[in-house]
Amino acid sequence: MNTVNVKVDVAHVTKQFDAENPEQGLALSGVSFGVRTNEFVAIVGRSGCGKSTMLNIIAGLLDPTEGEVRINGTPVKGPGLDRGMVFQHASLFPWLTAIENIEFGPSNLGVPKDKRRELAQGLIELVRLKGFEDKYPRELSGGMQQRVAIARAMAMDPEILLMDEPFGALDQLTREDMQHELLRIWESHKKTVLFVTHSIIESVYLADRVLVFAPHPGSIRKEFSITLPRPRQKSSTEFMRYYEEIYEAIG
Amino acid sequence: MRRSADRARRGKRKGPTDLQIKLVTLVGLLVLWESLSRLGYISPLSLPRPTRLASTLWDLSVYGFPTDITVWLHIRATMSRIIQGYLLATAVAIPLGLIIGRSYLLERGTNPIITFARSVATISLLPLAIAWFGVSELSRVLLIMYGAFWAILTNTIQGARSVDINFINVGRMFGAKRSRIFFRVILPATLPRIFAGLKIALGISFMVIIGVEMIGTVEGLGALIQQARFFYKSDMAIDGTIFIGVLGLILSVLLDRVERLALPWAVGLEEVKR
Amino acid sequence: MKTARFRQGLIASWSGFLLLILLWQFISSVLITESSLFPGPVQVMRSTMQNLALTRLLQHLGISLQRIGLGFVIGTALGITFGVICGWYRTLGSVLRTPIELVRPVPPLAWIPLAIIWLGLGESSKVFIIFLGAFFPVFTNTYKGMTTIEPNIIRSAQMLGLKGGRLLLRVVVPATLPDIATGIRLGWSYSFGCMVAAELIAAQSGLGYLIMHARELGITAIIVFGIVLIGVTNLITDYLIQELILKRRLRWHFLGTEQA
Repeated sequence: MNTVNVKVDVAHVTKQFDAENPEQGLALSGVSFGVRTNEFVAIVGRSGCGKSTMLNIIAGLLDPTEGEVRINGTPVKGPGLDRGMVFQHASLFPWLTAIENIEFGPSNLGVPKDKRRELAQGLIELVRLKGFEDKYPRELSGGMQQRVAIARAMAMDPEILLMDEPFGALDQLTREDMQHELLRIWESHKKTVLFVTHSIIESVYLADRVLVFAPHPGSIRKEFSITLPRPRQKSSTEFMRYYEEIYEAIG
Repeated sequence: MRRSADRARRGKRKGPTDLQIKLVTLVGLLVLWESLSRLGYISPLSLPRPTRLASTLWDLSVYGFPTDITVWLHIRATMSRIIQGYLLATAVAIPLGLIIGRSYLLERGTNPIITFARSVATISLLPLAIAWFGVSELSRVLLIMYGAFWAILTNTIQGARSVDINFINVGRMFGAKRSRIFFRVILPATLPRIFAGLKIALGISFMVIIGVEMIGTVEGLGALIQQARFFYKSDMAIDGTIFIGVLGLILSVLLDRVERLALPWAVGLEEVKR
Repeated sequence: MKTARFRQGLIASWSGFLLLILLWQFISSVLITESSLFPGPVQVMRSTMQNLALTRLLQHLGISLQRIGLGFVIGTALGITFGVICGWYRTLGSVLRTPIELVRPVPPLAWIPLAIIWLGLGESSKVFIIFLGAFFPVFTNTYKGMTTIEPNIIRSAQMLGLKGGRLLLRVVVPATLPDIATGIRLGWSYSFGCMVAAELIAAQSGLGYLIMHARELGITAIIVFGIVLIGVTNLITDYLIQELILKRRLRWHFLGTEQA
């Protein structure tokens, strides 16, 4: 990999959790890969293959047992403002309205009220939630909550967006909407994206590269570069071929 | 959470367990108490040392306080009052609650009365009970009954009201008659909520009886500690208080066990918040 | 919801209430001969107004409210503080929780004799009991809230750059507020009960004392009046706490769960 362009460098990462059986606790073993600037990388695999653990380590929410993750060459030591994260269940702050959730990060940095309101308003419009600014999370549907979650992460203008099965809890139609939305936002705002998912179709639809993880111990089994131009047709033969190859790789 | 968040990041789950820390703290506190008392930092009159409390415990069990009323007699008196009042309350409140719960109008009609009756502080009825029935076992048992009654009633009503309509529909689909539906579907579905009420009512009964026993009687755990107060015997008072705590704990554990036996399928339902 | 059923229900509620009052009056004037022992609503009012000066009544009420206010505020403040500390620092939490959980099964009332031995017969012993009544539910619920926050909320906040004290104050505590609110409601109820009991058993003033004293004087009407007054005060204060303080602040939690 061309090291000049590497934004995220995962080097021989191993993660061992305490468990009765040391084999059970080995979530990741010697994982190495790189992510280029503005690349969209998807991670797929069965349950228990360590994909969420990998994402959490890159996020800085977990420390690796061995190995290290470098961002722009600097080792990761904990969560940082260069990385934003979106979880499967939006996990919005229930006591804040949509727009207040988005403003939360900037307000913590001391950004003055009018500036951050302006920023947040812009993001609300980006995720197409105009009119819902003053709603509480409880009043919003799952898809809307995820949009707010994305906007909230974007408010810190992170270089890297980490997404842990963000559309997993949504119904099929909303899920497809959100996939379009995500691509639109990614294309206009140019971020590096690491996207964990169960769905092979979703990964082929969205990503430049798909990493297939396998469990026991968690490691990369195979890597695929998706060279189809976007927007991609889920019914096209090339799409189906990628799907089948990845399906086989998962095993 | 802060520390455990850091520890979680490192993926370690070792470190002393909650129970271990608690045991060490308990022993530590007892040792500290004993030493401070022996060194003279704590007045033995107001806060007797643990070893003294232990010997007083012996006196209470064998010789009793006031004379001849051993702690076991006290416990028996308290328990008999609780049991009588509690059972009376249960016998009336559950059937009544089920009937009221199944009728919208009855529930609405009785709601203001019940709401008010619940807000009356049970122990405030003691002077009235004394005026009517004198300082007697009857007064005490009636008071316990009053305290327990409303908690059981309200929970039974809520339980009966909120039986999932689907359960009833399934019963109907199986062609069950109304009375069968009542006994085989509604009653079991209401039981968890009834048990929640029973647990709350037990706590209330326990609180009420301790207070009631502080007036006008020498038998009973509440009476024991009140008597200890009159004679400035802080060691007796603390021992009595410990007995009260332990008894309360035993009662609630017992009730939990009964619930688990009766409703093995309902373990872990959320506790009612009154 | 102004459906016919709702209106019927409303009528039923009022009827039930009126029926009770009428029944009460009926029993006392017709069925009972010894009328001084079972005064009807009318007689209760008359007798109380004759025998109890309004100023005295208000004095007693004031003292009771003062006691419970003080005990409740201290109990709540300490309950929340300790609940937060024990939830945030795990080891310290286990240490602090040991004495707390050992004391918890003992009903606050049971501390009255010891409180008197330690603090005398003055205000502090009663406030202490009331404090105990409020402390335990508030502490327990706060601690439970602190330890059952959705982990991803904390992770989201960490990703947005929060940690340490800021994380605690700007995220963890707000997320715990609904549980704290439950604790406060319970704490008030218990405080109230403790106040009445403490005043009945060991006081020379306040509503509890008032009804005990009325019994000694043999004026049953005042006993009944006092009991009703205590009940009504309980209802009103409970309503005030729930509606005004809690529901206002916690709109975001109650949205969509409005009770009929």
